[in-house]
Amino acid sequence: MFSIYAILGVSLNLVVGYTGLVSVTQAAFYGIGAYATALIAKTAGFGFFSSMLIGAIVAGLIGLLIGLVLSKFRDDYYVIVTVGFNIIAYGIFMNWHSLTRGPLGIVAVPRPKIDLFGLHLDFNNNLLFLALVLVFLALIYFLARFIAKSSFGRVLKAIREDEKAIQVFGYNAFYFKLAIFVISAGMAAVAGSFFASYLRFTSPNTFVLMESILILSMIILGGLANLKGSLLGAFILVLLPELMRFVGFPNEIAAEMRQIVYGVILVLLMIFRPSGIMGEYKL
Amino acid sequence: MNIVPQLILNSIIAGSIIAFLAVSFNLIYGATRFFNMAHGTVAIFGGYIAFFFFKTLGWNMYLSAILGILAAGLLGYIFDRIIYLPLRKRKASGMIMLVASIGVFTALQSLIQIFFTSEFQTLSDISVHDRLYTIFGATITQTQIYILIMAFIVAICLIIFLKYTIFGKAVKAISDDEEVAKIVGINTNKIIGLLFFIGSGIAAIGGIAVGFDTGLNPTMGMKLLLHGISAAIIGGVGSVYGAFIGAFVLTFVANFSIFWIPGEWQEAVAFVLLIIFLIFRPRGIIKR
Repeated sequence: MFSIYAILGVSLNLVVGYTGLVSVTQAAFYGIGAYATALIAKTAGFGFFSSMLIGAIVAGLIGLLIGLVLSKFRDDYYVIVTVGFNIIAYGIFMNWHSLTRGPLGIVAVPRPKIDLFGLHLDFNNNLLFLALVLVFLALIYFLARFIAKSSFGRVLKAIREDEKAIQVFGYNAFYFKLAIFVISAGMAAVAGSFFASYLRFTSPNTFVLMESILILSMIILGGLANLKGSLLGAFILVLLPELMRFVGFPNEIAAEMRQIVYGVILVLLMIFRPSGIMGEYKL
Repeated sequence: MNIVPQLILNSIIAGSIIAFLAVSFNLIYGATRFFNMAHGTVAIFGGYIAFFFFKTLGWNMYLSAILGILAAGLLGYIFDRIIYLPLRKRKASGMIMLVASIGVFTALQSLIQIFFTSEFQTLSDISVHDRLYTIFGATITQTQIYILIMAFIVAICLIIFLKYTIFGKAVKAISDDEEVAKIVGINTNKIIGLLFFIGSGIAAIGGIAVGFDTGLNPTMGMKLLLHGISAAIIGGVGSVYGAFIGAFVLTFVANFSIFWIPGEWQEAVAFVLLIIFLIFRPRGIIKR
């Protein structure tokens, strides 16, 4: 789970941290990836990796559409529109029965298999699966780092600091913001693919607004515009519920207690350290 | 059977519930430019407090409702004191305030879930049947009539209050320019605190109304707030009339869309309407 959240955190940090656009809709792309993979792998019989690729492309395309709408807005309105998209995405997962089977979800999502050069790897084994996700986390991490360090990433930071000024220099902020949003959506979809095949199951309840808020909390805790921070933030917030169980919170209210802790962490961070643990930028 | 009168009536009822949220959101946003994401959940909190006194302790209905409103108002005030005021003093950016209020929203919603479970809870008494009235072939319950009347009373009181009292003038001064208001001797922090109290209280009337109308559910707060914000933006940010009109426009469009689009998609319709307004008329129907 940590690796999946780390992928989500890294992908969201590109948008929120580097470009300064507070988006609360990452769980929607996460869900699109999960559903796309599950559906394509089950109905079309494609392998896991090709399904994942298609899932990422689908999420990217939807991200492009949403990004086009979002490009009209800034600050408060931007946030509220992303919140709205997350709620609509949840509504689609829930209500489009013929495609997503509504609240029942999609069951028996296949695990990935590799048949290459006489090498047979069947990822039914959880340890092997973990290794695979870690490989992808590393890939995405380095891709994100490459983006952040490249001239493209520098333009994004410039947009964050002063959008008008960078436009004066002849950069079209619109395309840059759109591009990073699409990339981030695709990355989140990869996390969704792994989630679906790890649990072998997807249901709408995973992709609610709270999930987007959780991902946002992770990167703010870890530090905006710092990819290592996102890893750290994901690590802390995934580990926290386990720790809380260890300390002996009753199980019935564990989920709620966890959310209370997330909420309190967000508030305290905003009051005392808005840049997070190792952030380079504060909102 | 002709369903148009019923649709009109439903829109008006839903509109007046949304109006409580929209008006109170506008009140706070207009003065502080602070996008309070916890506002809807504070409203629901008021509904739950009323539920607690009325259903669990069996107190008088009106007393419970008043207690719910006061409790929500107090909660809004406390949040302002311990979280938003320190942030404002530090001149925190709007985004920081917004993320902080998302934190408040998360924590508060989970607290409600712990104490009142995630099940639907309804405030209305099943044993005592609501009296039904029929107008042009549409039915309306007595509680719904109360909700409607309350919405108009609140709106009128608020408009008079903001226009003719010193407090109202102070609020206007703060929303024009907080710094200048401070210089001319207005205790801005006190006024804003009071505004949070009043705003959260009005929102709680909406929360209680939902409790009587359809029933309460912890996650409903965000939905109510989204509708409230949409209505506020559609009507015109910072204006009491605007929020009111926006609420009715929103619910009429959402309700009448069922002629073409199945009912589950009402959320999406309301939201698309908001986006259209944001793109083509970002300052709403009534400009300020």
